[in-house]
This record gives sequence, structure tokens and C-alpha cells, in this order.
Amino acid sequence: MDAVERANLERQRRWTKDQKIGEGTYAVVYRGRELATGRKVAIKKIKVGQFKDGLDMSAIREVKFLRELKHQNVIELLDVFSSKKNLNLVLEFLDTDLELVIKDRSLVFLPADIKSWMAMTFRGLEFCHRNFILHRDLKPNNLLIASDGQLKIADFGLARDFADPGYKMTCQVITRWYRPAELLWGCRYYSTAVDIWSVGCIFAELMLRTPYLPGETDMDQLKTIFRALGTPTEEDWPGHTKLPDYVPVGQFPKTPLRDLFTAASADCLNLLSKCLIYDPKRRISAKDALNHPYFFALPYPSHPSKLPKPAKKESGIPLEEVDGNTDMSGPGPGVKANPPNKLKRKNSDDLGGRPVARRLDFTK
Amino acid sequence: MSTALYPLASLAQIRNTPSRADGIPEDLELDLRAYGCKLIHEAGVLLRQKQVAVATAQILFQRFWYVTSMKQFGIGDVGMGALYLASKLEECPIRMRDLINVYDLLLQRAAHKLKHPPAPAASTSTTLTRTVTHDFKYVPMSYFGSTFYDLKDALVVAEMQILKRLGFNVNVVLPYGTLVNYLRLLGLTEREDVSSRAWGYLNDALQTPVYALYAVPTIVSAAILLATRHLGIALPSSPESCWWELFDADWEDVWSVAGYIMRLYRERSPQDQARVLGLVSKKAVRAWLDDHQPIAPRS
Repeated sequence: MDAVERANLERQRRWTKDQKIGEGTYAVVYRGRELATGRKVAIKKIKVGQFKDGLDMSAIREVKFLRELKHQNVIELLDVFSSKKNLNLVLEFLDTDLELVIKDRSLVFLPADIKSWMAMTFRGLEFCHRNFILHRDLKPNNLLIASDGQLKIADFGLARDFADPGYKMTCQVITRWYRPAELLWGCRYYSTAVDIWSVGCIFAELMLRTPYLPGETDMDQLKTIFRALGTPTEEDWPGHTKLPDYVPVGQFPKTPLRDLFTAASADCLNLLSKCLIYDPKRRISAKDALNHPYFFALPYPSHPSKLPKPAKKESGIPLEEVDGNTDMSGPGPGVKANPPNKLKRKNSDDLGGRPVARRLDFTK
Repeated sequence: MSTALYPLASLAQIRNTPSRADGIPEDLELDLRAYGCKLIHEAGVLLRQKQVAVATAQILFQRFWYVTSMKQFGIGDVGMGALYLASKLEECPIRMRDLINVYDLLLQRAAHKLKHPPAPAASTSTTLTRTVTHDFKYVPMSYFGSTFYDLKDALVVAEMQILKRLGFNVNVVLPYGTLVNYLRLLGLTEREDVSSRAWGYLNDALQTPVYALYAVPTIVSAAILLATRHLGIALPSSPESCWWELFDADWEDVWSVAGYIMRLYRERSPQDQARVLGLVSKKAVRAWLDDHQPIAPRS
């Protein structure tokens, strides 16, 4: 055994697998622990098919990108080791995901909660984009939630770098409901805007509590989009009729977002509409989204620890959390001026005692 | 994020590479590295693969030999695995079957060359007849034979071993963009001969270990140095205003990289040229080590 094998064995010994918790197309996920600390982790065991094409592309992408990315709102790859013929990725363990949160009918979302999830999503995504990485599969199911409430972007199996502008890429990416029109029309040159569209769909889904644009086929997806947002005109999106797979799918009138999102604030709908602009060039960037007035207006984003979470065994805790949220996001001007003492105390750790206690630092 | 985007070999790894520790002499290791990279390059050309993938494969290949001995893995298998992995990394995957067929052809051709070395160029009339009789003809793998499956197994193992032994750090920074920037900065973009020559040196340097030893700016500076010197272009080079200092390169490092590259072009004896052809597999390397036992233990 040489130095490499020894180092690998040493790494392998740091972790133990406890229980299988899921199985995907190319991997089995186990819950595990770090032996020295007892810290919970997720171990993704990649199946290496001897009769297939060696290591799966998704696994390679995940290793390649997560090795580089370290951010509060991106899942952390703690370690990689191999055992016999398998590749094992050790990831942070995250309790739940946004899809489960959205589906849990017992939870009430306040505008401040939605703002908080959106802020964390945009922060994580801005970090990826700043490092020239496209995620290409954003959906609630891939936004995981840690026990402290932090949202983390996960599953980089479809991610890729886009340093080269003239590089042809496949348009068969992103789960259909979150896929923008340019990809459905076969656009091979695209950029960060595709991820923003997905975030826009997630944003809407958080408010509606049901998928916003659930198309049944790729063709139906276009129809669904246009039915909701109107068919784009040449002026909305110059040149879209020249896209490789362009097909007209009928004329639908534009309806104001306000008709569907009756309870949303003006800022909120403004940001949502900017995420769902047809022309990818005009769609808002993650960085600009973070500086959007929506995030600086009242109610301020909920503190991650205060966000609603699906009830597990201890049902008392989520209730308490909802109570906490009600307190701090109430629309009355009194709350803004003078947040309840209880909250002030709880949040002081993260915010380092700055006077603008609830403003998030987006550039981190 | 750490500031180092790509890993470089440590001093200890450079001083005594795993292959040297196993008794493989330095010059042979360098020859085998170069030959392995040539095979990757040839396979890349035959597969019409993108140069980014080929260059990435060659850099991974060079790094690999700072953590592994050639006694343990053959340069053929690892080269094939590196090209396969790099193609996935650069989002232009190739079919396993195509890669295996191409490598089989290259290995057969090497074996053929070893058996029928090209005659020295001196005697003209006789060589003509000789080359005709020993023309290389590729024999496709037999449908029922095990060659394909053996190569496939080796490929899967090599791919995983490269990942594992490089600690899953598969980040590679290619030098081409940097070269364009530097040439612009030096006002050399008008001279097409400089850019194409320097570009060529960067590509040839892929056959040397420099990409695993020096930072990209140093390697690019060396390519510019060689190109401008060969074309007789003067750049500010006296102390206080040395052009390579603009790029944070040390003269000694630049000179050393230039040396690595120029060594590739030196005259080689037919024996030296033939030697690597027979050492593509680890089996052959082991047999060679057994034959050369008396020399080896000195290291």
C-alpha cells in the first residue's frame, strides 16, 4: 500500500454510514456520522457500473464544482474517498428541503419567510454565478434546509462552467416546470439567466404553495408559460422566433401578476416579474436581485432559525417558530420601530450588534 | 475559496518521484511521460477531440506520476483514462468504444514500429523496398477476443485511480488565455509568428512535467521567451525592467521551463526512441526493471 492508498483509508475511517436514506439514478445516499465528533453527515455512494461508461458525468460534475465552492448557501462537500470500486462523497447533512416545506399544509408562510428563503437562494446562486458556474437544475427539491434554517443549494449533477462565451451547451437541462422558454425552444448558447428563471418559478411557488408553471410535456410547458405570462412579442424578446426549435404555440394575452398573486407587495411582484422576463438578456441577474428594493423593504427577511419547518416528532417546536414569526413581521409600524425584545436577543449573535439589525449582508 | 486554483507537485515529490523510488531512472521517466502524452495527443486527433480536453488530460497525466509509480500503472492505460476523464470534465464526453479502438490502433502501431524500426535514412534504394514490405496494417480487435474487455476494464480502473490519487482535485487551468493577454500587454499581437510559435511551445510543453511544477504565468513567460528569442525580437531584459517580472515570473523558473521544452527537441538515438515504445504497459516496465536490476539499487 502506498501513500495515496493510506491517505484514502485514513479519510475513509473518519466517517461511518448509519442508514440508507435514499437512492437516486447514480447514487445511494446514507446518513452517516463523523466518528470523532458525532456530527451528522450524508454520504453519497456513487455506483460505478462496470458495464456502463465508467464514472457518471453527474458525479464528476458534482466533485469538480463542490470541491471549489464554499458558501453558507451552497451545500458543502466535506470529503471524498473511494472504497473498492465506489466513489463516496461526504456532504453536510441537511434535514429537509424546500419542496417538503412547501407541501406541508400545516405550515403558514409569512411574507418575511418567503423573503428570507429568496434572499438565501439568491445569495447562494450569486456565489455560483460569480464563480462562473451554472446550476441548471434549480427547483425546490434541490434547495435543502439545514437544522438552523439555512437554505443551501444542492445537487450539482447538471452544473457546468461557462467561462467560454461561444460554447455550445445542451438545452436538455433543468426540470421542465422550472425551464425557461429559451431552452424549450432549443437555445444552445445561454447563460446565468436560465437559473434566474428557475428561481422566479420557485419564488412564485412559495407564494402559491403549488407549482407555478406545471407543464405536462415540453410543448405544453411553453403553453403553460404563455398562458400565465402572455405570449412574447418581438418587442418583448427580439429574435426569439429565430431560435433553433422555435414553434408558435398560440397567442395568449398578458395578465397582470397581481391577478394571481393578490396578497403580494408591489416590490415583491416587481422582483418576480424581473425574474420572469422572456428576454434572457433583460432578465435580472442574481447580484441585481440581491440589491432589489424588495429585500430592503418591510417586512425584513425572517431570521433563518425562525423559518417554518415541517413538523417531525417534536411538534411543539414549529408552532413556537411560527409564533415568533408572527411577532416580527406584523405589518404595523410599531414592529418596525421596536421589535420585540425576545427576538432582538436571539438575533444578536449573527448580526454582530450592528444598528441595522435585520439588514442582511448580501455580498458575503 | 483558496487562492491556488490548481495543485502543483511538492518539493519532496519532485526530488524523488514514485517512479524513481522504484528504480526507474530520471531520463526514462521523462521519456515515458512524453511518450504517454504523445499517445494522448494522437488519440485526441484521431477522435477529433477538442484541444481543451486533450490538454487537460495531459496535465492530469503529468500530475498523476507525482503520486504514482510507473511500475504500478502503465502509461498507456493512464493516458487513456486521463483522456476519458478530461473529456467528461470539459463537457465533451467521448464513447468508450471509440477511445478503446483508437488506443488499440496506437498500441499496435507502436508494437509494429518496435518490430520493424525505420531504417536509417542513409541507404535510399533499400529502405524503399523495406518500408513497403513492413507497412503497418491495423488488425481490428477480434469480435470474440478479450482485448476489448481488457482495455475497458483498464480504462475504468485508470479513470477512478486518477481521480482518487489526485485527491479528486481535477481543476486544471489552461495557459492559452493567459498567453493572449500577455502578448497583448507586450504589444506582440501584430506578430502572428510570435503568437503561433508561443502557442506551439505551450502545446509541446504538455509533454513535459512543467504544468505540474510551475504556475501558468511562468510557463507562458517561457513560451514567449523561446518564441521571441528564436525570432530575434528584443524585449526589455536588463535588471530593473525585465518583462517577465510583469507577470510575476522568476527568471530561474522561466529558464528552467524553457530548458524542459528545448530538451524535447534534442537529437535522440534510435535506441532511445525505440526504448519507450516497448514500455507502454506496467508489465513491460516491471520486466525492464528486472533486467536492469544491477543499476537500480543505487537510488
